[in-house]
Parts: sequence; structure tokens; C-alpha cells
Amino acid sequence: MTSGIIHEIREFTTHDGPGMRTTVFLKGCLLRCAWCHNPEGLSPQPQVMRTASGERTAGRLYTAQEVAEILNRQSAILRSNGGGVTFSGGEPLLQARFVEEIIDRLSNVHVVLDTAGYATESAFRRVAAKSQLVYFDVKLVDWEAHILYTGVDNAPILANLRRLSSMDVPFVIRVPLVPGITDTNANLRAIAGIAGSLPGLVRVDLLPYNRAAGGKYAALGMQFRPSWNEAQPVNPDIEPFLAAGVPVNVVGARGPRETTGE
Amino acid sequence: MAPHLAPNFLRSTCSFSTARLDAMRDRVRAGEHKSLRSMEPPEVLAECDAEGLPWPKRVARMFRRVCEAQYPVVLPGERIVFTRTTPGIPPVYRDDQWKTLTSGRTLHELGPISNICADWGFVLSQGLLERKRIATGTASRLRQDALAREFLEASVETIDAVLALVRRYREKALEMGLTPLAAMLEKVPAQAPATFHEALQALRILHSMVWLEGHYHAGLGRFDQYMWPYLQRDLESGSITMAGAEELLAEFFISLNKDSDLYPGVQQGDNGQTIMLGGVRRDGASAVNELTAMAIRVALYTNMIDPKINLRISSDTDLALLRLAAELTRNGLGFPQYSNDEVVIPALVKHGYALEDARDYTVAACWEFIIPGKGMEVVNTGAVSLPLAVDQAIRHGLSSGEGFEAILLRAAGNIRERVFELAAEYRRLLLPPAPYYSALFEGCLEKGRDLSRGLKYNNFGLHAAAAANAADALAAVRRFVYEERSVSASELLDALDHNFENHEPLLRKLREDGPKVGNEEEANRLMVRLFEFVADACEAIEDNGRGGKMRPGAGSAMYYVWLARGKPGDAGYPIGATAEGRRRGEFFSANLAPSPNATIRGPISVLQAFSQIDYRRICNGGPITMELSDLAFRDEDSIAKCAMLVRTFAQLGCQQLQLNALNAEKLLEAKRHPELYRNLIVRVWGWSGYFCELAPEYQDHVVARQLYGL
Repeated sequence: MTSGIIHEIREFTTHDGPGMRTTVFLKGCLLRCAWCHNPEGLSPQPQVMRTASGERTAGRLYTAQEVAEILNRQSAILRSNGGGVTFSGGEPLLQARFVEEIIDRLSNVHVVLDTAGYATESAFRRVAAKSQLVYFDVKLVDWEAHILYTGVDNAPILANLRRLSSMDVPFVIRVPLVPGITDTNANLRAIAGIAGSLPGLVRVDLLPYNRAAGGKYAALGMQFRPSWNEAQPVNPDIEPFLAAGVPVNVVGARGPRETTGE
Repeated sequence: MAPHLAPNFLRSTCSFSTARLDAMRDRVRAGEHKSLRSMEPPEVLAECDAEGLPWPKRVARMFRRVCEAQYPVVLPGERIVFTRTTPGIPPVYRDDQWKTLTSGRTLHELGPISNICADWGFVLSQGLLERKRIATGTASRLRQDALAREFLEASVETIDAVLALVRRYREKALEMGLTPLAAMLEKVPAQAPATFHEALQALRILHSMVWLEGHYHAGLGRFDQYMWPYLQRDLESGSITMAGAEELLAEFFISLNKDSDLYPGVQQGDNGQTIMLGGVRRDGASAVNELTAMAIRVALYTNMIDPKINLRISSDTDLALLRLAAELTRNGLGFPQYSNDEVVIPALVKHGYALEDARDYTVAACWEFIIPGKGMEVVNTGAVSLPLAVDQAIRHGLSSGEGFEAILLRAAGNIRERVFELAAEYRRLLLPPAPYYSALFEGCLEKGRDLSRGLKYNNFGLHAAAAANAADALAAVRRFVYEERSVSASELLDALDHNFENHEPLLRKLREDGPKVGNEEEANRLMVRLFEFVADACEAIEDNGRGGKMRPGAGSAMYYVWLARGKPGDAGYPIGATAEGRRRGEFFSANLAPSPNATIRGPISVLQAFSQIDYRRICNGGPITMELSDLAFRDEDSIAKCAMLVRTFAQLGCQQLQLNALNAEKLLEAKRHPELYRNLIVRVWGWSGYFCELAPEYQDHVVARQLYGL
């Protein structure tokens, strides 16, 4: 029996794939993206979060069977609403065997793998092959910039992306738009260039930077240090993708309506 | 969906040009009309005493004087008039007289009849003059019955008072050269309206008057049912366009926000101006019509706290209608509130309601199911504190070395004791006479019986509050003390007695490792058992003293605060720390929701947990209450998912649902800078209110409540 560490199982995650979904957030990630908005997903250990409303422990060890039982209890509801289960993180591929075993125990559930792609070829292939859809993050194509802003080389990531396109699993490229860093015309053109050459790609999702990104750092005793101007509007430039013949979508483009009644 | 509906009837955008209504809404929000109010209500005690009037006549006299004190107001651009100009409702008895009158008796909430719904469709179909003619006829038929005559004379006095007030409005309209308005007031509400516009004007006046008699929580019932025939006729004859109808409806909705600050309630916004949409007709066919969707669409435009919108659905309700409703949730007003016909109707039938009446249900101020025109239900006799019943059983059981089953039985006994206590208290119920309100119910004038003497349905309701906290406490005790034996009885008792001081690791264990309603079946099952105990106790009461039963519900209203901290002015806490890992003074769960300090996976688990309650036995209403981050409403795709969630609620067989879109960051910002967020509206329990007008502890609770998806 494999066990693993999960920092949250969260239902009704409306932006983690098609239909009604439940997302399993696996704790632990090797990337250190400067804009990460899930800092409790970074460390592979349980952590105490201290907020004004009290303390809670983020992260708990589960057996694969335990997780599968929780998910199977609701699988009929997820299925009848066009959804399923998404494995996200952190980086789910850091606990590939655990994720595989959970998937093996699921009863007829649509699986989305939401990954940053920084994993061994073997782990990547094994889990991707068991998924019905892969959300694959591409942040920066320039490798120096990638090391600077995420702490790791992007070569293994781009290699996995190419493998994915030969695997017969539909996938979506997700690009977080961080003002002045990932949303530059050069970077978006480079991503569009890669995307245009990949069979199996469903579309590219552009995810505008969320200003609440730094919200959880203090609770973990960490510091959020954006080197960019948070107030600068992002550049959701879809042109390079259209030019490359790649379907593209800006997530949340309709924008939250003002709820103050005006 | 019925075939006669236009293909685009579920569109979300109104088609009228909004300039006039925008200005009207801005003026109502700014409260300009409040400057027209007098400072004091009229004085009526002296004349009541001098003439030695009996109670019903005193109420009628008071009502007449208040009507006379109204100054007719026609605000710029108004096509539907009435604006109240007096505050408060004057007393009809001196304090000492009132004390004698009510000594040894129980008053429901504030006293006057409240939380019911008039038969608006019936009253509109007759007009006030016909109501008066019926009253006079009954009075001459029942000449020998002094009580009936007194009531009927009082009722006629109130009808005359309304008609006199409307005449003054008509004169004002003439004076201002508003001939069409004057012509309309010449006709309604004296006679039955013929058009949608006339029906709205008549309803505005008839409904506003209910408050002038001292009543409150006066619902508007199944608005899309009784108003649709007027609109349908106008649309078919071509005398009104869809856009024209939307504009009138928007004006009517805005008008409901003019006087609501004068209405009594626990907090501003708690005024019970609810409307019910959708569902089935009395014959069981779908009741959804063009007006169902129009009311939601117009509420999307007006975006004000009144009227509070309720939607009746079932497992096969069109997803497109649910999507439209989800758009409204997105506005952050905390409505619509959903009720599931497939669960509610059989429950009402099981409680003795005729099937046709059960199909006609609406909700009272918050969520209690009532039948318009036929229910003189007393929906809020009080609360059973499930945490207290359980806590006393746990403490007794742990200190005397009882087994877990003995604790459960003791909790059941405590619950029964509390239910019987409420029933005994309400055997002494005193309902004040209501000569005007009675005229709005079929049967009162016809039989010469005041509303306070009862209608077809006379049940009492109570709230079995904070079930999740109580079940979590039981589940923690069973797992840690009796099964794992990882916590000793004495250690837990000591921690509870000392509010977990120096017991922080135990507190954390109870909170984080204890079974919780929502997450674990063992807690869910205990929650279900607690409701069984409540139902057992209620069903043991054959007659509530008024020919009705005790109806248990799952709501908490303000009790989630009061049962934890005491009512304002109480000395000390009604309950200490509790075994689910809750310190003294922390709130309980509001309505059907997980314990506030439990981390739950999300809405699917919550719906699955609360779907297990046997709602055929728990039928006083009480919604599952969920906050979703407003991110969940960010785009069309997400709104469609919210619609699916609501459909899942119905498919799982849950009873009632409140869904709120909330942005925690924005609420915190509003707390810091209330001046910038005066119009920020949140759902509090059964109603929505302006966030910045809530007391700080309510604000904190709204912020602290579980934010799914954040």
C-alpha cells in the first residue's frame, strides 16, 4: 500500500478541468516559482498555518486506498456532471507511484493531471498514460529566465511536453501570465511556436496573474517578494497563438462582476 | 419546460431602457425619501381608553390613525406609488394594561402576527370593496355573534382607512397633473385590477399596509403564479411589451426597498419580504412561466436586498433556469434560496397538508414552509440547542463512567425535555387581533373569524440548531474516549471545564483528527440520529393546542450566536467549551453547515452529508448554507457548474439550499473601510443585509464561515 502527503482534497474546483471536479493537491514541489500562490504545496512535510482565525495543519499522510474511497464515494456525481478528479499540487508527479495507485483504485472516473512537467520521463509517462487529460504548465521558454524565476532548468519540462504530444492523451498548455515576466510578447511568441508544433494539443489557457497570490505566505512564516509590479495589468495577448493556429482561451475573461451593487 | 415559453425566455439581460429606474434606484439607495418622514407615530392610546375600545377595535383605530397620518408622496418619475411617512407603530395599550393582558401568556417573537403569507392572488381578484361587502354581509348574518361582529366592524374600519388613504394619493396625483396615475388609483385597490400595472400598484399598497398594523415578516408568496395571469393577458392583447413589463416589475422591486428600514427585524435587512418562484402548480404541472424568469432577470438588474428571491426546483429542473439563478447568486445578494419540491411536498403531506395545498407552498421570512392564505403557522417557537443537549449528556456520561449508547440516550432525553418545554410554553400562546391582515385571507371575513383564531393549518415550528457541532462532539467522544481510548474521560472533562487552557494539543486533536460532519460518515450518521431524536419528540405531541403539530426544522437563524454566547443582555455563556474542539463563545454552525472550525472537503461532501436527514420528518425548513468564492462565478463555464451543483443538491434529495458568493478579501477590506462598501450585501442567515450595518460579531462570522474554493 502506497501512502503520500496531500495538503488538501478540495471539491467543486471550477477551474481545474471540465465539469464538476474534485482536486487532490499533492504536497511538495521542486519548483520555486516567484509567483506561486499555493506556497503550502512546496514543502513535502506537514506545516502549521497560522492565521487570524486560528491555526491549522496543512498536509496529512493518506494511503492510496483512503483517498480512492473518498473519491469513489462521489464519483457518480462527478461523472454525471461531466467532471472527475484532478491531481494537482504542489507537483503530483513527485509522488507518481502514490497517484498511480489512487487512479488504479478509482471506479470509472475522468482524471486530469495538472503538472508543471518537471519529472522523470518514467514518472511522467506512467501517470500521463493513466490520465484522460493533462494540464501542462509552460511558464518561460528562455531557460535562463526559467532558472531565475522558478529555480529549475526547463529542459526536462519541454522534453516531457514533447513526449506528451506523442502519447495520444489530449492536453492543454497553461501559461500563468505574470506582468512583465511571462506575459512578454517574446515569451508568448515562443510558447506559441512550440504549441503550434504539437499534435494532441487541445488549446492554450492563459491564466492572468492573481493579486491574491501572496495571501498565504505569512500564515506559513514565509515571505512573498514579487519583483514585478503587481498593479501592472497583464498582457493577455492571444495573437501569437492565433497566428500559430492554436486555440487559445483567457481564463476568467469575463471578469468578476462588482458585487457592491453599483 | 412548458411549450408556450419563448425560446429565449431565460435570457439574463433586461431589455428596457434603464435611465428612469437607475435614477429611482439611486435615490432610494441614498434615502432621499426619508426626509419626508415625520419623527413620531400618531398617538392613539388616549382615545382608545376614552372610548373603552376592545382589542380588535383598538388595533383598527390605531391602523386608521396611522393611515391618516401618512402624507401622500409621489416621487419623481414614479408609476407605482406608496411611500411610508411615519416611523414606528403606536401602542394600543399602556404598559400596565399590556402587562395584565399578556401576563402568563407567550408571545411569538415580537408579538404581532408575523411570518405568514396572505392570499395575494385571491385578494387581488376581489379588490377591497368586495372584501368589505363580504365583511358587511357576514356581519349581518352573524348579528348574534358579538365576537364576530366586533372583528368584522374592526376589519371594515381598516379597509375604509386604506381606501381613504388611497383617495388622498389620488388627489395628490391629480394635483400634480398625473392623470393616468390618478385614474389607476381611482380603481385599485378598491376594485380588482385588470392589468399587470394595476396589479402591481394594488399589491404595493395592500402589502405596505400590513406593516402599518404592526405585522412584519410579511411574505409576498408565489409572485410568479398570482401575477402571471395579469401579465399574460397584457402581453397577449399587446397592451404591454416585455420591456415595458420588466420596467414596471423593476419599479415594484425597487419600491420594496423604500420603507424596509422601518420594518422590525433583528438586524437591518431581516424583513421577510420574500417572493417564491417556480415549482409546480396546485395540479402538479410545472409552474415555471415567463414571469419566473423575468423576476430573476429584473432582480439581476435591481440588485437590491428586497425582494428576497426563492426558487422551487426539483431534480429535473431545466439547467438553463438554474444557470440564470446562479447569475443572481453571483451578485452576492445571497439569493435565490432553493427549495426542493420533491422533498418538501411529501413532507408537508406527511404532516397533514392536503396535496394541492402542499404543492402551493412558499416560505415565511426565512425558510419555513407555509401555505399562502391557508396557514396561520407559528414558525419560530424557539430553538433546541443540540450542542447543549449533547454537551450535558457527554459531561454526565464521562463523569459517571457511562457507555456511549447511554450518552446518546441521555442526549435524546435532553432534546425531548426541551421540545416539551417549548410546546408547553406555546400552549399559552397569545396572538393579537389582526383586523386588516385578516381581510387578506380567504375565510376570515367569510366566517367572521380573526386570523389570530387560526386558519386551515396551525402548526408550530422549532429550530433544531447547530446539529453539526453536536454530532462532531459526539463523534469525537466515541472515537477518542470509547474506541481508541487515546483520550481519557477525566482529561477531556478537565479540558472542557478549563476551556482548553493548557490543553492545546487536545484541542488541536479534536479539531483536526476528530470525525466531522461533511467529511466522515460516522459523524454524519450521528447528525442524522440527532434529527431523529428531535422528530421523535415532536411527533409525541399530538396537538399543539391550536389543532396543529410541532414541526421541527434544521435552521438556526440567530440561534447559532445566541446558543453559543447568550442573547444580548444575558449574563454568562449558555454553554462552555465543547468536545468537538470548540472554545467557549465560538459560534456554532449556521443552519445546516459543518462546524465552523472543521476543514471540510467541499460542497459535494456537505450535500451528501445533509442529504441523509429524513426530511419527511424535519419539515420546518432550514437550508444547507454554503459560501462559494466568487471565483466560482467568474465565467460562463463556472456559472454552469454552479447550476450543476444546485441540481446535484436536488438530485441527492436535500431539502433547502442557500448559496452565497463571497470574497473574503473584500469583506475584510469592507470592515476596514466601511465608507467605501456601503452597498456590499451578504446573506446572514435567512436574509441578506448590508455588510457594513451588521454588528461586528456577525461580520466576523460571515468572514470566518467556510469559504469553499478559496
